[in-house]
Amino acid sequence: MVSVTGLNHRYGEGPTALTVLCGLEMEVERGGYAAVTGVSGAGKSTLLAILGGLEPVQQGRVLVAGMDVSLLSGCELARFRRERIGFVFQDFGLLTMLSARENVEVALALARVPRCDRRRQADSLLAEVGLADRAGHRPARLSGGELQRVAMARALANHPQVLLADEPTGNLDEGTAGRVMDLLERLREERGCTLVVITHNPELAARADHRLRLSRGRLVSL
Amino acid sequence: MSWDDAALLALRSLGRRCARSLLAGLGVALGTTLLVALLGIAATADSRIVSQLSHGGPAAAIHVRDAMPDPAGYDSDSLMSGPHRDLGDDAVAAIHRASHVTSVVPFLSSSALVVPCPGITPGSPDAPVPCRQPVQGYFGALVGTDLTRSRDLPITLLAGRLPAAGSMTEVAVTQSYVQRVHLDVTHRAAVLGSEIEFATPQLLPGGGTRFRGRWYRAEVVGVVAQTVDGGDFLVPIQQTQVARQWALGGADSRTLRRPTSPYTGLVVVADSLDNVHAVRQEIFAIGYANSAPEHLVASVQKYLHVVDIVLGGIGAVALAIAVIGVANTLLAAVRERWREIGVLKALGASDADVARWFLVEAGMLGVAGGLAGTAAGAGLAASVALAVNHYLVGQGLQGIDLGGPPVGLLVGAPAVAVLLAVIAAVVPALRAARLPVREALGG
Repeated sequence: MVSVTGLNHRYGEGPTALTVLCGLEMEVERGGYAAVTGVSGAGKSTLLAILGGLEPVQQGRVLVAGMDVSLLSGCELARFRRERIGFVFQDFGLLTMLSARENVEVALALARVPRCDRRRQADSLLAEVGLADRAGHRPARLSGGELQRVAMARALANHPQVLLADEPTGNLDEGTAGRVMDLLERLREERGCTLVVITHNPELAARADHRLRLSRGRLVSL
Repeated sequence: MSWDDAALLALRSLGRRCARSLLAGLGVALGTTLLVALLGIAATADSRIVSQLSHGGPAAAIHVRDAMPDPAGYDSDSLMSGPHRDLGDDAVAAIHRASHVTSVVPFLSSSALVVPCPGITPGSPDAPVPCRQPVQGYFGALVGTDLTRSRDLPITLLAGRLPAAGSMTEVAVTQSYVQRVHLDVTHRAAVLGSEIEFATPQLLPGGGTRFRGRWYRAEVVGVVAQTVDGGDFLVPIQQTQVARQWALGGADSRTLRRPTSPYTGLVVVADSLDNVHAVRQEIFAIGYANSAPEHLVASVQKYLHVVDIVLGGIGAVALAIAVIGVANTLLAAVRERWREIGVLKALGASDADVARWFLVEAGMLGVAGGLAGTAAGAGLAASVALAVNHYLVGQGLQGIDLGGPPVGLLVGAPAVAVLLAVIAAVVPALRAARLPVREALGG
């Protein structure tokens, strides 16, 4: 489901160029759960961005959800993200002017779900993450854990084959972080999607099937 | 993301920064207000000036006389007539058949001895206001026409109403009559309800100027700025037709000719100012003298168009400045929504989806500002027109057409505001759409 071969990535040109990924190899099977750890600046977020089609592939081969990401154009990448990928961000990435339901509906709208079905699906997704009673609330009125659960509901709106989470518990306290990760894992199991999580938290990483540490641009299995 | 999804997103984005959105919309509204008000006032002024030139009648009106044309008058605005020629229904029908003619209204003038306030002793405390000072009888001219077609005639009603069609006992007077009965023109309405006695003459045989009159009384029901043919009294044509029949029963003399022509003249209206000259030439060809201020109106209109362009230009500059404000607001919004743009793109929004969001937002500002500005501009133009009208009428002058700004302007101004706002949003929208997603997400 996720297959990375000989991935090189660097920022800048010439002598000041900074290599962040160097001949990186990675394999996660369908429905698998991989946790990537590493020090700050190790390239974890860059790796996740490349997997999600947010960053162009400079060198190497990246297969995600059956698509060779390195071969996709701008429009195709947008479609790839829209149809196959779900993102969960550390800072939730919710649109503050929209309610929880509307945030989910935006993802459904982008996924071309008919307007008449969106509300029902959004409510169903919010119920799935335990926020049925907070659907009409705007982000400013939700707690950190609730915000992340809304973000997770939104990420699942397009029935992604791969769920990419960039430090999803980074802004949450320990108890909430644990509950969010429980939910994320449950959703992965129920929906059978592949989960790749970037985290600094070794306890959360320990729960993954594949524990990978990014060091000097290469992944090391733990 | 469809257009209505983009509209919802845009609406919420505008609501989030209410004050800034309001200011940007207000800028568009003010620009549109200025544009509509200036062009509306200019249009009113144009119609007032053209109306003044055409004595309150249609701008494309042509006056035809019961006379042969003088070749010198073929290319002149002034009436240059040759010998008398009767003007009857055959001529009316022939002129009506001419191309570009929309209406032909005949009129018949007749002279009469006029006695204001018959049977009332001047100075009597019971006398109506216009009859309190003695007024001598005098010879005046009655102009009779089909008053059901007053829109096609150079008639401006200043007070009261026009005489009922076919009435033999109602008359409208001009302001010269108001002054003759020693009233100030600003109090012209006081003349309404008073009576006038007319004596239309029939020349007695014997070659002299002795005549007998056909006496009748009429009530003053209205005051007009001018009659069709320069007389003091405007009446239904039946009154002057009876007067003509009465005159035909008498003798003829060099000084007081018997009125052989069924009509004194016609008011012919062309379908447009551009066709006035062609219609005049056809009437010349039929054999009647005519006049129309076509050259004067055309040259004045050229200057008026220049004024329109200048005023429109000022309004357009104001609108352009407002639209630059919209562009500035949206550029700030792009910077502010950097992260949100990144999130949308991460969720699969295409560049077009992101651009649509900003274009729709600009369109909404344009619609709100354009509609509000058009309404305010039309209101402002109407207020100015009302004030000017009040002043003109108060001064005893012909008022102005209060029809409001042209419909094209009312429809076009909001459309222009929306179009300019959307054009202004192109750069911010492109900047947002082309934002690298990773950069937008802050990576």
